[in-house]
Amino acid sequence: MSATSLIARKEAGELLLSLRGLAWLMAVAVALSIFGLLLVSNTELSLLDNAQVVYDMVGIVTALGGLLALVVGLDAVAGERERGSLVPLLLTPASRDAILAGKLGGVAIAWGVMYALSLPYLWAVGSTGQNLWQGMLVLALLGSPVVLGFGFFGMALGARLASARTGLLTGLIALVLSVSPLLLGPSLRQSTIGGAFDAVNPFSAAVNAYDAVIIDSQTILAQWPHIAVAIIWLILALWLARSGFYRVVR
Amino acid sequence: MKLAALLLAIGFALSASAASAASLAVDLKPAGSNPPSPQMGDTLSFHTVIRNDATTPVDGLIAWISLVQIDKGKEQPVDLEDWSAHKAVTAPSLDPGNTLETDWPMRLIQSGKYRVVVSAVSRNGTELTASPFADFTVRQKPVVESQRVLPVVIGLPLLIGGGMLWRRTGRRSGT
Repeated sequence: MSATSLIARKEAGELLLSLRGLAWLMAVAVALSIFGLLLVSNTELSLLDNAQVVYDMVGIVTALGGLLALVVGLDAVAGERERGSLVPLLLTPASRDAILAGKLGGVAIAWGVMYALSLPYLWAVGSTGQNLWQGMLVLALLGSPVVLGFGFFGMALGARLASARTGLLTGLIALVLSVSPLLLGPSLRQSTIGGAFDAVNPFSAAVNAYDAVIIDSQTILAQWPHIAVAIIWLILALWLARSGFYRVVR
Repeated sequence: MKLAALLLAIGFALSASAASAASLAVDLKPAGSNPPSPQMGDTLSFHTVIRNDATTPVDGLIAWISLVQIDKGKEQPVDLEDWSAHKAVTAPSLDPGNTLETDWPMRLIQSGKYRVVVSAVSRNGTELTASPFADFTVRQKPVVESQRVLPVVIGLPLLIGGGMLWRRTGRRSGT
């Protein structure tokens, strides 16, 4: 077995099989369950609102996924350093690219599990409405690069900043800023500054694509500008993570 | 003399307008394939026949569909944005005796009692020609069904909680 797959399995195993990892999944499941219970108690939903429900849940899954990936990515470098296990890892014969790829694989597996966890929830709240399958697909296509990008961004912060706490704070601020389209109304987002922010914000790209596909029934292929923004974000974050990881000396 | 001529011209204009308004007839009927007791999510269709009963062509014909909710206390016009993509039909000209037949499909978004009407105007007409009303009732359909949601929102956290308990028990028995 290659060093990359060994490290990826170790990272994913720590996240998914340890009590700490299961607590993460439990927190995500409880958040989605509370949202689902809120919907069940609402008797005034129309069929259009059903699509809105799927859209909201897909947005929440992406935001939670971004948070999960950010913390996992940060912990993969800064956490290892603070636990004193990063230097021994760097001293192994495995190349830095192999170590990095293994840690990135751990983030990807964690997101994959979280995506799988979200599918029953999406089905439960959205199977009587429109565009459920398209919603699941667009979450995979747009959500994955955005979420993984936050994982890589977390690794970059962990590699560049001296303390894990500083990295976590910085990452959380960036994440909250990025997910602000979920909180801001359309009028604020249509202002000049809001529009400019939307154009470069990967989370906005994902949310706008969700809106277009799930609510407006547009095709996924028509979302290529949003997909392009998400891919650019992924590549940029990967580059930041790689260049930061090569600078790690202790 | 000039005043008499002016009054005569106005009179002719008014009579011409009245003739133009009366020249159109709009008939509206629900499609035979409509479900007898529709519910949210179903699709209904209405069929209109717009006929020119006059002896002169009607130019610039526009017909559109309107929907109003007539539930007691909820009387309101309905924005068809989400209900139908086919909200109007136009014809450059309709010759005397000719008809324009149109189907109006719509997806039922919200439960309630509704009234649909198709209206028509022409470029030179001054009055609206409306079809007879077509009423229908949309039954409520649970959008987020509790029997589907509850097993998931309760079952998954319980499953993960069980996994945590199993891990904890396994760890203790292993030491």
